[in-house]
Amino acid sequence: MGIDRGGETGTDRLAASPEAESSGAAAPGTRTGTALPTRPLRWLLSPDNARLLVLIALGVIFTFASPFFLTTNNLINVLMNAAVVGIVAAPSTLLLVARQVDISIGSAVGFAATTLTVVAESRFGLAVAVLAAIGAAMGIAAINAVAITKLRVNSLIATLGTLAAFRGAAKLIGDGRSIRLDGFGFLGRSRFAIPGTDVRLPVAVLILLGVALLFSLLMRYTRYGLHMYAMGANPKAARLAGVSLERNVVIAFMLSGLSVALGSFILVSSIGATAPTTGMGLELLAITGVILGGASLSGGRGTIGGTLVAILILAVLDNGLTLMRVTSFWQEVVRGGLLVTAVAFDQLRLRRGKPEVRFEL
Amino acid sequence: MSTSAAPQDPVTVAGIEAPLLVVDHLSKEFGAVKALQDVSFSVNAGEVVGLVGDNGAGKSTLVTIIAGVQHPTSGHVFLDGKPLDVATPAEARDAGIETVYQELALIEMFDMATNFFLGREILQKGIRQRLGVLNRRDMRRRAREKVSEIPAKFPNFDAAVETMSGGQRQIVALAKAAFWGGRLLLLDEPTAALGVQESAGVLDMINELAGEDRAMIVIAHNLQHVWSVCTRILVLRRGYLVADLNKADTSAEEVVAYITGAR
Repeated sequence: MGIDRGGETGTDRLAASPEAESSGAAAPGTRTGTALPTRPLRWLLSPDNARLLVLIALGVIFTFASPFFLTTNNLINVLMNAAVVGIVAAPSTLLLVARQVDISIGSAVGFAATTLTVVAESRFGLAVAVLAAIGAAMGIAAINAVAITKLRVNSLIATLGTLAAFRGAAKLIGDGRSIRLDGFGFLGRSRFAIPGTDVRLPVAVLILLGVALLFSLLMRYTRYGLHMYAMGANPKAARLAGVSLERNVVIAFMLSGLSVALGSFILVSSIGATAPTTGMGLELLAITGVILGGASLSGGRGTIGGTLVAILILAVLDNGLTLMRVTSFWQEVVRGGLLVTAVAFDQLRLRRGKPEVRFEL
Repeated sequence: MSTSAAPQDPVTVAGIEAPLLVVDHLSKEFGAVKALQDVSFSVNAGEVVGLVGDNGAGKSTLVTIIAGVQHPTSGHVFLDGKPLDVATPAEARDAGIETVYQELALIEMFDMATNFFLGREILQKGIRQRLGVLNRRDMRRRAREKVSEIPAKFPNFDAAVETMSGGQRQIVALAKAAFWGGRLLLLDEPTAALGVQESAGVLDMINELAGEDRAMIVIAHNLQHVWSVCTRILVLRRGYLVADLNKADTSAEEVVAYITGAR
């Protein structure tokens, strides 16, 4: 049962105790200890609301700190920056819910984007280039899926391998050059006027909302989504109940591949070129968002809504700090600190739940 | 024993009315470890059979083979005279074998209704069925109907299973097995780690589930519990079936003697 060992590495072990489903209804077994006024407060500070409060608080702070923050154009910029991360973070949420992780997405986006520009440059043209890029992204996803389900490599390790390999491969096929691509601006640069207002939303943001909606429906309302949660919550019990772990993981990686292709198109389209560094660090942003968004490393928990809010927090933070002229070096420090804080809170919540140790494979 | 020969029809082997379950010369090896060695027995409908033995005697191996989770090195399992040779857990389940695994019967984060239907979900009709869209309302309704038949009380139907006591969880798991109408129930340590009162509740439930057309195999360490529900006792020792005793003809002392190897 190698594929469910994703949850067994390092930190996950520490998180082996079950916790009350945060998104679901009440879990009365967890203490109701102290008296009355805690209830509304606890509701207000429930993880979902806490995230929204943080987002709003950041918005308020940056509005006071910079006159440029609360302008339509700037907010659209924030959304635009969140679009690519959000699109690749959606399948990452699905995967982490099932105790799997795909950290190859940064290099996969880079490789697919470079494939796009390299092929577009050649005599085959843009249409073939788009197909080749989709094929490249799906190919990486297939390699990940086979390594995890057939060769039983832990998903963290398997995708760490493809992360390294396809960054190199992207530099190989692009000769380490920056490559321009003209006539591909639709996804990244065109805007959609919202009727009745003068707000013109980037198409990429609409795509993000569409992707988020699809993944949200998949995870909340379908048998597939339920099985992914079951696999994360208790892989062995899920298998005994008849859930096909391998098949579900393969599907999730294929979805990840599709999102990577889409994300790479938007990225290339908005920048108009690829570089050897295209997509670099995207995996860290996406996974920070997923974990900040409430998904647990021990599986069984996480929602697309939570991920989306968390990614907006990250985007607002980047944007606001930039407007305040904080160097990008500090932004990276803040981002990393936020990730550790999010995981620490997750652990804290786990420990306050039941102290019982769940049976692990 | 011949391992490659086609399985014989157990009806003709027995020469009398077909038992519900026939285990025929079953062996299982894990490398050098012989977990089960040439185990044969049969179980008739209506019987509740206690499966006892020391740790490592092969009890769990035997049950997981019958449940289709593991496959024997040699030998065969028949249900209703039909071989279950290459069964998967799903196939065994479809054939009417329901298993309640210790610790693994339920997903703790999920509520009762979701647990009842995990792996056998009810879907919406039409195009939504093809998309795999769950029909949560029907699943909740049917699970609630079933749970209301159980004498045990549950404070909150919608609560996650992890908020329940061990005894309540075990009763939910048994109710799930009964819900799916299993003709053969395999219970792996149903009273392990339960207090006296909780064990009594679970044993009551087992007695209630026993019926004319249903057989049960119960793994247990506690002989008192075995005595209160079983009609027959099988003793495994180091992979061998060393005794097949009717409860009426034996005593706890004798069973212990078989378990420890004093006999």
